[in-house]
Amino acid sequence: MEKYDVVIVGAGMAGLTAAIYVARAGKSVLVLEGKVEGGQIINTVDIENWPGDMRVSGVDLIRKIKSQVEELGAKIDYVNVVKITPKDGGFEIFGDMDEKFEASSVILAMGTNPRKMSDEQTKSAGKRPISYCATCDGALYKDKTVVVVGHGNSAKHEVKYLEGICKKVYNIHHDEPIPEDAEAVFVAIGRIPATKCAEGLVEIDPSGYIMADETCHTSREGVFVAGDCRVKDLRQLVTAASDGSVAATEAVKYIA
Amino acid sequence: MELLDFYADWCGPCQMLKPTIEEFEKAHPEVKVTSVNIDEDEELAEKYGVSGIPCLVVLKDGEEVRREVGVMPLKKLEKLVGV
Repeated sequence: MEKYDVVIVGAGMAGLTAAIYVARAGKSVLVLEGKVEGGQIINTVDIENWPGDMRVSGVDLIRKIKSQVEELGAKIDYVNVVKITPKDGGFEIFGDMDEKFEASSVILAMGTNPRKMSDEQTKSAGKRPISYCATCDGALYKDKTVVVVGHGNSAKHEVKYLEGICKKVYNIHHDEPIPEDAEAVFVAIGRIPATKCAEGLVEIDPSGYIMADETCHTSREGVFVAGDCRVKDLRQLVTAASDGSVAATEAVKYIA
Repeated sequence: MELLDFYADWCGPCQMLKPTIEEFEKAHPEVKVTSVNIDEDEELAEKYGVSGIPCLVVLKDGEEVRREVGVMPLKKLEKLVGV
């Protein structure tokens, strides 16, 4: 079985930054990612709050970071982690296609996923397509009628974006039925942390976020958390990167 | 087997999936892979009822057998196509 000093779960901004720090400290590191590197930001066309770039696309930024990570000697493997268990002072990490890895320390950086509509609302959508990303799928509904579910900041952003493309854009709450003439549903009702694989391993708050303060130490020794899946007030690219550096430094200290 | 990969230039996830599609093509020359730009070939996108991208449609003898929307790593793509 493959054994590493540090295994990082998730290749978004937090996980990749952690990989840079662990690799630069001279430790072996593997990043496990269930889909594709980048996480949430690959959906963002114009990032305007990443220092050093007035405007950068999520895809371009993540490609640069990925090549940096690989040049430093960190490995990225595409595995959907489903379980992590302590074993002989270290940890075993399991994927959903029977993969298995060992690590002395683990950094949890799984980020968040979009919150899904209620069963009732999903039922009222019938067979109409449901999207969680207006910038990805909006152009498919040029001059058509669509609905945005949600009233938060990201929902408002989606409404504004879709109004530039579609004929009509409804905006409804999460407990209202889908309008009959809407041809597609765009959902923006917040996000939920992707922390299922850490259940039973570390303390998780009632909303699903992993408990840790700014030191990124979880309730279990040797396990650290970084990025959007940690309990925190501000979830941004820079705070994810910041967490990544802290968690990595703590993990390296732990295995020293 | 045939794989249709519906994408657009403005779609970030589609760009992220591209290297995986290319890797798949190299590893499985027996599968015909067609990348369809939905802005250039609206007709085909409509024919297959593409409602979100990236959209991967698997065809067997010209008939759709499976489809999935969203990015995925090579192993999952191989599983989807069934190779």
